[in-house]
Amino acid sequence: MLGTLDRKLGRDLWAVRGQVLAIACVLAGGIATYVMSVSTLRSLERTQSRMYGEFRFPEVFAGLKQAPRSVAARLAATPGVEAVEARVVAPASITLAGYRQPIAGQVVGLPRGGGRFNRVHLHAGRIPEPGREREVLVSDGFVQAHRLQPGFGLEVTINGRRQQVVVVGVASSPEFTYQLAPGSIVPDFKSYCILWMHAEPLEAATDMTGAFNQVALSLGRGARVEDAAQAVDAVLKPYGGQGAYGRKDQISHRFLSEEFRQLRMMATLFPAIFLGVAGFLLHVVVGRLMATQRGQIATLKAFGYTTGALAWHFLKFTAVVVLAGTGLGVASGAWLGAGLARMYRDVYRFPYLDFGVDWEVGAMALAGSLAAGGLGTLWPVLRAAGESPAVAMQPATPGRYGRSWLELPWFSQPTRMIARNLVRRPVKSVLSMAGVAMSTAILIVGGFMSDGVDYMVFAQLRRAQLDDLTVTFFNPVAERGLYSLRSLPGVQAAEPVRTVAARFRFAQRSYRTVVQGLEPEGRLRRLLDTELRPVELPAEGIVLTDYLATMLGVRPGDRLTVELLEGSRAVREVAVAGVVREYIGVTGYMRREALNRLLREGDVATGAYLAVDEPALPGLYERLRGVPAVAGVAARAQAVRSFYETLAAQMLTMALFNTLLAATIAIGVVYNTVRIALSERGRELASLRVLGYTRGEVSYILLGELTLVVFVAIPVGLGMGYGLVWFLMHSLQTELFRIPLVIRPSTYALAALVILVATAGSALLVGRKINHLDLVEVLKARE
Amino acid sequence: MEAVFAARAVTKFYDMGEVRVHALRGVDLELYAGEMMVLLGPSGSGKSTLLNILGGLDRASGGSVLYRGFDITAASERELTQYRRRHVGFVFQFYNLIPSLTALENVAAVTEIAEAPMRPEEALEMVGLSDRMHHFPSQLSGGQQQRVAIARAIAKRPSVLLCDEPTGALDSETGIVVLEAIDKVNRELGAATAVITHNADIAGMADRVVHMSNGGVSRIDLNAQRRNPRELHW
Ligand SMILES: Nc1ncnc2c1ncn2[C@@H]1O[C@H](COP(=O)(O)OP(=O)(O)OP(=O)(O)O)[C@@H](O)[C@H]1O
Ligand SMILES: [Mg+2]
Repeated sequence: MLGTLDRKLGRDLWAVRGQVLAIACVLAGGIATYVMSVSTLRSLERTQSRMYGEFRFPEVFAGLKQAPRSVAARLAATPGVEAVEARVVAPASITLAGYRQPIAGQVVGLPRGGGRFNRVHLHAGRIPEPGREREVLVSDGFVQAHRLQPGFGLEVTINGRRQQVVVVGVASSPEFTYQLAPGSIVPDFKSYCILWMHAEPLEAATDMTGAFNQVALSLGRGARVEDAAQAVDAVLKPYGGQGAYGRKDQISHRFLSEEFRQLRMMATLFPAIFLGVAGFLLHVVVGRLMATQRGQIATLKAFGYTTGALAWHFLKFTAVVVLAGTGLGVASGAWLGAGLARMYRDVYRFPYLDFGVDWEVGAMALAGSLAAGGLGTLWPVLRAAGESPAVAMQPATPGRYGRSWLELPWFSQPTRMIARNLVRRPVKSVLSMAGVAMSTAILIVGGFMSDGVDYMVFAQLRRAQLDDLTVTFFNPVAERGLYSLRSLPGVQAAEPVRTVAARFRFAQRSYRTVVQGLEPEGRLRRLLDTELRPVELPAEGIVLTDYLATMLGVRPGDRLTVELLEGSRAVREVAVAGVVREYIGVTGYMRREALNRLLREGDVATGAYLAVDEPALPGLYERLRGVPAVAGVAARAQAVRSFYETLAAQMLTMALFNTLLAATIAIGVVYNTVRIALSERGRELASLRVLGYTRGEVSYILLGELTLVVFVAIPVGLGMGYGLVWFLMHSLQTELFRIPLVIRPSTYALAALVILVATAGSALLVGRKINHLDLVEVLKARE
Repeated sequence: MEAVFAARAVTKFYDMGEVRVHALRGVDLELYAGEMMVLLGPSGSGKSTLLNILGGLDRASGGSVLYRGFDITAASERELTQYRRRHVGFVFQFYNLIPSLTALENVAAVTEIAEAPMRPEEALEMVGLSDRMHHFPSQLSGGQQQRVAIARAIAKRPSVLLCDEPTGALDSETGIVVLEAIDKVNRELGAATAVITHNADIAGMADRVVHMSNGGVSRIDLNAQRRNPRELHW
């Protein structure tokens, strides 16, 4: 049964319902973010470990040029290696009837007899039957993007040989959760796919019968990935081994790990800010409650209520807010988490993903909000409840005011009152400002993601990569071969490029990536400085992506060891000639001619950048498909489009979510600040009204304080927002991508606007209350 | 007659930085069972201080106060709370009702933690407020609020009723109604009652009148006959 005091509690809560609701919403915002990101993280991690086990994700990976199958047996005998599986993988260019854009693909040989590693999950259809060489599986993203059902046909060109295949099943596999076409920046399921086909026809098409060019290994207990990789490299070196690597460098695993890191960050940073602000607001509101109820507490104590009972009574106030906020937060977090998990599934092709909110997550959420509420209110409640009743019975001593340094002689009386009030409680004034500033900062973070990504795309696709089509070859071709490309109808220019896998070493550090050999006067692929101005590729030496230089710790002038993993396999010291600004991936750049010299090869290229007349594009795809040397074709316009299709919607959703969250904080802080001011000074203001002050003047005293707080807080918050973005940018950057630190003026403006609107709204609500101040009531009652 | 309170050499001082304010300078006083006592004295003479010490709201700096043989000056915080909860009813000058609770609920807040209380309705009836039970304090006049406060004080059937200027904020008409309620409760429940007032006219309703000045008891008058508050006016 509810006691009388509980009824009092209910009415106390009701009297400040606006504030209670605002605080509960702020709390709910933090909890929702926490539950959403932690639940998604846990679901993804659970799914990952389950599918790695179920589909046997290997521990070490290696690519090579070509080796006979007997070499695989030698690998199996290497110490530490438990099992080995060798297969053939080849790039392909694909035609789907009715789709006019180029489609690139990766064809994977289905191992004979089911396969030890990288088993596939069948979403629909069936596994290709033994002996039926034309039957293939295709990745589920492709089928979904084109809205197809198993049973359709594809024309696949491997190694220049065209063949017709029939898709009998739709599949996914842990090694291809993240499907990135070579040279693209986000998955594009319409123009990239994975095909699984029987080993025999694939080996035949690639002239690798009885051989392999990719190997996967699992390790025995206690074996180290680094040791195994070294042993594998030793064996594969004569066969064009390109360097073995562990899971942490496997592209799908790598991207997932990055996502986990981001989710973890999201699960701590934002909830911490929100719970902190909620705790502060509770502190203010409950502190005010204790001040107004000082006499009531003394009276109840006079009648025999214990300190503990009274403290508990007021802590229930906190408990109600905390429970309401947590409940709302967990519910919306679960809902948002399900949405986020769905968004992840659109990008990461998991065989399955069971989203759920674990009870531990709910418990942690509750513990977090209880801690925030407790920290905020325990002290004021205990202090007030523990006060001696004889002391508490006496009216509180009037606040101590003094002249403040803010006062200038020409200020009016109301302005002085504002100044004195701010200065009298510096901690509270500063905390209110901090709260408003914090919400401004979060608003900026909300906008930053899309600003940064827009800029990244702009830099990459409108400044650096100016080609219309990127063509890659199966094998290096002579530069002369490009004449045939240039002579195709619609092609205005073709610039050759030479790409080679390489390992860079400097001091103790090393990193495996590629070197690209570019044309010195190239106009289709340019290198940029920090201001995005094109820079000239020097005749000698190597130019590195700025992030790569930082990772390796090299500066221009240093001598970098470049270990080429193909061709001559030369190991050379090369001078670092400069660094260039890039936001996606890390690469080394040389003049093509210098790189070819290093490789001890002639004037060859592995690909070409093409400038094409827009109307000629469709016909050109058709022609390129007929060129045997061409392994794949990628279109830049299509890349931009697919980028926005895949990511922009998600970015927008996240930005909207962040803005909504930040607006909650802003309204919560601003509204509470005014309400508390009104409660503290209602009597004083009513007295002023009795003395003949107008409503306007009285409103000015109250709202002037708020306005001052907000106007100081906004610029501070804009600065804090920049700092927060800087922190996020630095902790999120990896060699995969770096979101540039770019904040548009419009993002700053929007943040300030949201705060101003929240302030105006709160001012209107409270202004109505000022107009209805009950003068008689206020003067009659004792405080 | 049995002494409910026996105060011996009670002192109370407040240290205010450099100076020490002596609120009580050695008070000796008894309060007898069923008695009606009025405390008179100028402002600052220590009346409220003494009453707060008797009621266990405040602690004496020296001396002893025995409540039926139990020394409340030596009691722990917990014992004092229990003491107040079981035995003491307070009425304050400014009523000190809980504004968010109705008249009935204000009384119930106390009966809920008492041992053998009367029903809240009964207490309100004793002070003549049966028809205002569901009103909030802000909807009641000062006198009505003070009567609710008296109902709240007596609902637990206290053995002592301590009233600090219960009529201080009221006009004489209303004050008399309130005093009648206190008088009635004293007679019907037999609670030893102490009433602080500035108003010498009120002294007529007492069995004994204690005059205080400068932190001590200066004189005690015995009234030959206790007068009904109705007959008082000021
Ligand atoms: N908390 C305190 N701190 C310092 N001095 C105090 C405190 N409480 C009371 N006093 C002093 O003790 C003395 C007695 O005060 P007390 O309130 O008992 O007087 P009173 O007789 O009730 O006066 P009044 O009729 O004005 O209510 C006064 O001089 C007062 O200033
Ligand atoms: Mg007094």
